Amino acid sequence: MLNIKPILSTLMRSKSGPVLLLLQIILSVAIVANASFIIHERLGMMQRDSGIVESEILTFNMYNFDPSIDRVQQNQLDQQLLRNLPNVMAATSTNMLPLSGSGWSSTLNLGPDSETAQSTPQFAMYLGTEHTLETLGLKLIDGRNFYPDEINTSLTASGKLAIVSKALVDATWPNESALGKVLYEGEDTQITIIGVVEKLQGAWIDSGDLEYSVIQNVDWGGRSYLVRALPQHHAELKQAITDVMLKENPNRVIDDFQSIKAVKESSYRDHQLMVTVLSMMVVLLLLITSLGLTGMVMFNIQRRTKQIGTRRALGATKADILSLFLTENYIICVVGGVLGGGLAVLLGQQLMQHYDLPQLDLLYPIMTVLGLLLVTTVAVVLPARKAANISPAMATRSV
Amino acid sequence: MLTMKNISKVFKTDLVETHALRDFNLEVNEGEFVAVTGPSGSGKTTFLNIAGLLEGFTHGDYFLDGVNISNLSDNKAAAIRNEKIGFIFQGFNLIPDLNLAENVEVPLRYRGFSAKERQRRVQEALDKVGLGARMKHLPSQLSGGQQQRVAIARALAGEPRFLLADEPTGNLDSLMARQVMELLEEINKAGTTIIMVTHDPELARRAQRNIQIVDGQVCDFTLYQGGQAHVAQTEQKVAS
Repeated sequence: MLNIKPILSTLMRSKSGPVLLLLQIILSVAIVANASFIIHERLGMMQRDSGIVESEILTFNMYNFDPSIDRVQQNQLDQQLLRNLPNVMAATSTNMLPLSGSGWSSTLNLGPDSETAQSTPQFAMYLGTEHTLETLGLKLIDGRNFYPDEINTSLTASGKLAIVSKALVDATWPNESALGKVLYEGEDTQITIIGVVEKLQGAWIDSGDLEYSVIQNVDWGGRSYLVRALPQHHAELKQAITDVMLKENPNRVIDDFQSIKAVKESSYRDHQLMVTVLSMMVVLLLLITSLGLTGMVMFNIQRRTKQIGTRRALGATKADILSLFLTENYIICVVGGVLGGGLAVLLGQQLMQHYDLPQLDLLYPIMTVLGLLLVTTVAVVLPARKAANISPAMATRSV
Repeated sequence: MLTMKNISKVFKTDLVETHALRDFNLEVNEGEFVAVTGPSGSGKTTFLNIAGLLEGFTHGDYFLDGVNISNLSDNKAAAIRNEKIGFIFQGFNLIPDLNLAENVEVPLRYRGFSAKERQRRVQEALDKVGLGARMKHLPSQLSGGQQQRVAIARALAGEPRFLLADEPTGNLDSLMARQVMELLEEINKAGTTIIMVTHDPELARRAQRNIQIVDGQVCDFTLYQGGQAHVAQTEQKVAS
């Protein structure tokens, strides 16, 4: 560029202002790059597809206190009553709620000899019925659903079947079909895989095994239920479910109505909070940096009013003056950006070591510097235009 | 070279109108050395600003080198200032953060000269004012007279046909003032037209012509030859 050398000379000879601004930019780039990376990573986590129709599923708990009832029969009757309610698309019992942070997990062996057999990764173990796929809105991509007569009412019953998530299949039997494969609980208990769903997340959102899930053919019943209906019917269904359940058996308590969407939001609350706080920090840092830039330009304009007038008298156009201030600040911004980018990588490495974060993608420091160039342009252009409008006659005035 | 016809300059505020120049007429020929004198507030600086295209005027016509510059765009005016006019200011107006070479180079950069050409002209101009060996020095490391010589070098580097000097010796002691004046005379002898605003009658006498401005009008002018008044006549009478 035309004026880089004399501008560099000027910056080198009046260092204090530019050095302070440079430090601010270095720190801003290092922090903003890492914060943006964490924000993006957290938003990515929150936007992961759970495989289920979160907003349509209403869940509640039912506590029976009557010791004389047949729990199995009561459970089946209750589920039928739920399915008969208007606007209910499907309903089933469950042992755990997806994305809730609490539930069952297990690993199973791939062979009968527990000493030598390899095992599956840790997975979430759902207990469900032939209604589970429809209630959760899961997409079956291989095999079949449970038949009604295959549903057990006890974990110890024989004839154990499973529908598993594709992620678990890919991790356990890469490039193979899982249908007919047998999982072993010790030497005697076998679970045969009959179906594969495209996606089903477990309960623990921060776990690396979140995508690994198994649904066993067990109607666990008696406590947690899932009811699928369009969100606009949820409010009326809460009352209808309470009424119909208490009418059937008044000696119980029904509560904890919430949608899976709400369960998910609750689980991701800390992540959402971090995204919000970091976003505010990024905006504030960029604002402070832009104010710093604007402040320095305004200070320089005031300090150099006569000099600007002289430059105009010597033949500088308004565009030359604008370019002078933009170039001066672009130099600071680029030097600060490069140093800040390096610091961002070092900071990223420390965060990776101490807080179990993935390695900082270099795109983030680069994008931050580009963003900063944009901020610099916006912050500098307005005061610099004011400078460009200084009359060349200022050169002959005694100011 | 320079012709001003009925130039008026009015500064307006909400409360008051100030007539800085009124029906101002002047002709300066190529190669002349003209001194402009007059009491404070008479309009000398306004005249200099208008002559140097540093500010516009309210009425009248101004021809520089045969070109009517009455309605020039800002960029055109900047280009003419850069190519045809050299400025010397009372306070030198050097850029304190730039060394002497960089200061002299400023107008050349706006002119778009190549680095090699700029270097040649800077060297030549600084040699001419006797400071060719101090190119890397900062203005603050020089005396006032030396700084003014740098400013003259800066004005000369673009080889202007027209030099405007605003009290060029106003901030200098008598010895340095004499040196600067000798330099200006030398430049004028080489063919550059000079208009110099000054308070000092001694310096004015060293010019070829002295124009006195009173109340925004040319009051009278005096022709000098060899330091003695040669002809004196009144061109315009100040309206009473």
